[in-house]
Amino acid sequence: MVQTVEYDVVVVGSGPAGSTTARVAAERGLRVLLVDRRQELGSPIQCSGAVSDNALNEAGVRPNDEFVSTPIYGFVTYDTHGNATTMDYRLYRETPLGYVVDRRRFDRYLMTMAERAGVEVWLKTDAKGYTPHEDGTVDVHLNRFGFPQQVRTRVIVGADGLQSQVGKWGGLRTHIKLSELASCLQLVIDHVETDGLLEIVAGHEWAPGGYAWLFPKGHGYAEVGLGVIRTITDKDARWHLDHFMQNSFMAERLKNCRILEVQGGGVPLAAPLKKQVADNIILVGDAARHVNPITGGGIHTALRGGIIAGTFLGDFIPTGERPTAEALTCYHERWLDELGHAMWKLYEIKTDIFREQSIPRRDQRLYDTLASYFSPHSEFRKV
Amino acid sequence: MPKRPPVVFYVNWNACIKCGACIGVCPHEAGFTTPFDTIAVDTPCDIACMACEKICPVTAITSRLATEAEIAAMS
Repeated sequence: MVQTVEYDVVVVGSGPAGSTTARVAAERGLRVLLVDRRQELGSPIQCSGAVSDNALNEAGVRPNDEFVSTPIYGFVTYDTHGNATTMDYRLYRETPLGYVVDRRRFDRYLMTMAERAGVEVWLKTDAKGYTPHEDGTVDVHLNRFGFPQQVRTRVIVGADGLQSQVGKWGGLRTHIKLSELASCLQLVIDHVETDGLLEIVAGHEWAPGGYAWLFPKGHGYAEVGLGVIRTITDKDARWHLDHFMQNSFMAERLKNCRILEVQGGGVPLAAPLKKQVADNIILVGDAARHVNPITGGGIHTALRGGIIAGTFLGDFIPTGERPTAEALTCYHERWLDELGHAMWKLYEIKTDIFREQSIPRRDQRLYDTLASYFSPHSEFRKV
Repeated sequence: MPKRPPVVFYVNWNACIKCGACIGVCPHEAGFTTPFDTIAVDTPCDIACMACEKICPVTAITSRLATEAEIAAMS
């Protein structure tokens, strides 16, 4: 006989979106279970780990040595040939603009914050499906350390990433097209100097459909990587990264580098999901495609989505209202107001750039967009 | 468009970096996966869109046509 435990909310996936949703909901008095199938959060690393100070602040997360790899003070945007626009915010402020974090430590730190706020956390726990009941609750079927277990809850939060299974349970259209998923490869390297700036390289020659980057990683390390769209190149990301490291204007700087780690992932450069809720289900973070479609940045959007979702649940659950898709749409509306409309606008800008058929003109537009995106005057600075 | 014949994927575990991009782009409704967070390798894929092969940053995924016996075992 499988024992049933009761929670107000079950969050599936303990990345930044899931653990923030869980923490905020628990801080508002809800009984929350957070499950993750991994043994070590944040791993394998699929992310460069750049996040703004502003994003951490909004999420109530103070930068901490436990997860900060290095502080960031600005940006350099390069075109194909290496012509650069530098925005060093040390001219304006002494404090960091953001950080490169170690996702293994960062994700664990956020989960710990949730746990200390009263969230029950189960690792090595896979969510397999759910059964709805007449009274508006659901049983969530879990597999914990290989043993079946079920819990009863009112709302399931799918924070289970790009390949969201929770979204599929709810019949949501989570499938992403190959033309909107960047194939990314990143190396953590030694023997390359950086100066507290995120360096970004636009140009079809180096990263068709995406961009290349060189980020400081602290301790004298750096991250070099790129993302490409495979519908516009026959070569894989690894080939493009080799090409970039050997033949671009950065080749001289990178020639003595030693590889310390190899990381990769699929980064959505897509629109947010049009439908992010179903009966008893809401999606947040990558699962809902809460990713900046120009930069591919997803930590800030995950944290903010998590706050919006957790706050919404804190308001909604105590009303006792049945969590139908219609009732939960309120979450999606709040998200659109606070963040989503700006993301849709970014998606339109991105789509417009890649509709440009002439490669030199497209390169120029992407470069101009990225350079202005990171300027102090950008309207998107907080996205 | 004519239906493409089912294929069986092969993952080169030595090249795979466990990034999950192949599962991320996979259009299968039910998880078409291995316990190692890659596209399934033990059963034919009847969609054969090849998006998983394309998205792989390190070309760890290859494929072959499924045999008659493998296709028969699917249904």
